[in-house]
Amino acid sequence: MERARPLGPVRAPSARSLRLALAQLGLTGLLLVGVEVVLVLPSETGPAWVLVLFPAVGLIYLAAGVLAWVRRPSNRMGPLLAAGALFWLAAALVNTGQAGLVGVGLVAATVPLAVVVHVLLAFPSGRLPEPGSRTIVAAAYVVTVVLQAPLYLFAGTPDAPEELTIAARPDLVALGGTVQSIAGAAVVAATAVVLARRLRAAAWVPRRVLLPLYAYGIVAVLGVPISANVLAPLLGLDPVALAVLQLAVLAGVPVAFAAGVLLGGFARAGEIEELGAWLGTEDGRRADLGDALAATLGDGSLRLAFWAPERDGYVDADGVPVELPAPGADRAAVRIERAGRRIGAISYDPTLIADPELVATAGRVVAIALDGERLTAELRASRESLVVSRARIAEAGDRERRRIAQDLHDGLQARLITLALRSGWIAEYATADPALRDDVAEVRAGLDAAITDLRRLVHGVLPALLIECGLAAAVEDLADQMPVAVQVDLSRLEGDLAPAVESTAYFLVSEALANAVKHSGAEALTVYLARDADRLRVEVRDDGIGGATPSAGTGLRGITDRVDVLGGRLTIDSPPGRGTVIRAELPCGS
Amino acid sequence: MRVVIGEDETLLREGLVLLLARSGLDVVGLAAGGPALVRPVMATGPDLVVTDIRMPPTHTDEGLRAALEIRSARPGTAVLVLSQHVQRRYAVELLGDRPAGVGYLLKQRVADVTAFCADVRRVGDGGTALDPEVVSALLAGARRRDALEHLTARQREVLGLIAEGRSNAAIARRLTISEKAVVAHTSHIYDQLDILPDEDDHRRVLAVVRYLAG
Repeated sequence: MERARPLGPVRAPSARSLRLALAQLGLTGLLLVGVEVVLVLPSETGPAWVLVLFPAVGLIYLAAGVLAWVRRPSNRMGPLLAAGALFWLAAALVNTGQAGLVGVGLVAATVPLAVVVHVLLAFPSGRLPEPGSRTIVAAAYVVTVVLQAPLYLFAGTPDAPEELTIAARPDLVALGGTVQSIAGAAVVAATAVVLARRLRAAAWVPRRVLLPLYAYGIVAVLGVPISANVLAPLLGLDPVALAVLQLAVLAGVPVAFAAGVLLGGFARAGEIEELGAWLGTEDGRRADLGDALAATLGDGSLRLAFWAPERDGYVDADGVPVELPAPGADRAAVRIERAGRRIGAISYDPTLIADPELVATAGRVVAIALDGERLTAELRASRESLVVSRARIAEAGDRERRRIAQDLHDGLQARLITLALRSGWIAEYATADPALRDDVAEVRAGLDAAITDLRRLVHGVLPALLIECGLAAAVEDLADQMPVAVQVDLSRLEGDLAPAVESTAYFLVSEALANAVKHSGAEALTVYLARDADRLRVEVRDDGIGGATPSAGTGLRGITDRVDVLGGRLTIDSPPGRGTVIRAELPCGS
Repeated sequence: MRVVIGEDETLLREGLVLLLARSGLDVVGLAAGGPALVRPVMATGPDLVVTDIRMPPTHTDEGLRAALEIRSARPGTAVLVLSQHVQRRYAVELLGDRPAGVGYLLKQRVADVTAFCADVRRVGDGGTALDPEVVSALLAGARRRDALEHLTARQREVLGLIAEGRSNAAIARRLTISEKAVVAHTSHIYDQLDILPDEDDHRRVLAVVRYLAG
């Protein structure tokens, strides 16, 4: 398994595609700005440098939007600011002096203000969370588009182009303006209320960032009408100065809010997609998972805790128990669940990550990796305990077998021999009656047969030679008994072996040789036993017809199981016509 | 004939004592363990030692070790070893290179009291006695040898009886053929097995067993 790489160099393919698209957008926007500058310069509505300022502000919106978009791909502030640039450029067309373009400019004249309201309410994620804010933003667009209409519909030429004017009705223009002002004021007031509520709900550190941004946004929106209707007369500003003042205030909006998105530590939602891609390509190990999450969410103090059911509590990546922060403490926690089952938890600094939903989302992304890892660990543990218990059972079985063989040998067989001796004595010396002698001689013969049977039984259960003299002697004996010549190489067999290993190796050789003699028609057999540091290697080879399989008939199935239980390996290499090699490796400690 | 008996199974030991005494042997020592066997032998210098192979303390092959020790320390002592199962390697080890006065029998043979006592005497007199089951195991293992295939069934029987340590006369009696026939068979066997004909019955046992054991 490779070590997990840090998050930086990994880039999801969609990110590359996005950069490409944004580069194109940026260039297109730049082109539009350039075109507008060219169009505006020759116009006579004001000094050239002031006129250029309008598309320049559009450029600022564009630049801020594209930057925010590329750095925070799934944050909507980028697209919003870039769209705002479009409206800016549209509104600035009013200075071009070309009839059709001027009309467009008149229609879009106040839309940039609605964009500022939208930006205000959508900060920091670029989405409008409450239904209330969605209504307000919609109202803002209605006020700036629909309620703007009377101002050009009834303006009369030459203030408005012919196509857009119905009649010259200054009274309706004034009325429309008043309605628009009131409606606009209402929108701004509602915005202020929503922002104030958000401020109150925010923790201290985000509040420090949000308060000035919100205040600046409100000032920017109110600033335009107030500066036009109140300040200008008050301070005696000429139209150029007024325009520059308004432009300056409004130009700061994209800069301030883009900076807020990039630097304010808010909403690193875009990188969660990268986290997902990273998890898919790497082996998400527990320690690396926590680091990756912290990097993704931008909180160095973020910690990932894992639910340990056997402790009924959380542990960290090293298995050390941890406590989740209590609600109201200066750290917050989000629990990760999957299919209703607790998997872990993320504890983080709520001043750095404002949105717990984001943390929960990140948690869901890693939950799958965590769960998979937990299941794998459980599976491994249960498999290990299974292996251990199988080995224990096999050893117990082997011990039983030895005990039985020895009990039979020492106890029962000895007793039968003594009985046979006594009956032999009786038959020979204790009576002169021939009939009785014959009877007793029969008893003796019967006992003799029983002893022979018992001897063979014990040999089948566990050969005495194996118990008394060990594996090497028993294997040599086996080889001697074969009707076909068997070459035995035990030169590398030394050291003591566990009884279970000896028995298994012995029966393996016995079975393999018996099969070779019975089925393969081989003329040369070899047995090789060697002890490496912690393994016993067994090899039985014949030059017969091959084609051996561990099927029921050959008894190799049982041997394979025994080898398996001890944690060893058995392979049968038996190509038809080319002999058979049975190899086994048995672990035997060091 | 003076005998020392080694056997840890009490009832069997007492049975052996009775049996051998009834047969006219003089039991001069008893032991119930391997190391415990050597002392009385060294002390009393018997003609024959009859011992079980498996004895305390380890219950593996103490009796065999003791027998070999006795054979090397007191070469004139005959040794008859009793085992509860067939182990060809023990037979080969015991025979070593001096087959005289060596016996290796299955313990259950004691029940055939006449035959057993005859075997005991034969060994005590310097002959050889190998259990027929040991010999047939040797023969079975050697059936792969081509040379044995050139022997007739009868000759294989004779070979087996030679390996048991029987004399020509005993073989003739057992197979109910004439001693001359036995001699003819044996010379043929010697040719096939490439063994030098030897007047000494004992040496031929060794040669045959060596051949069969590979």
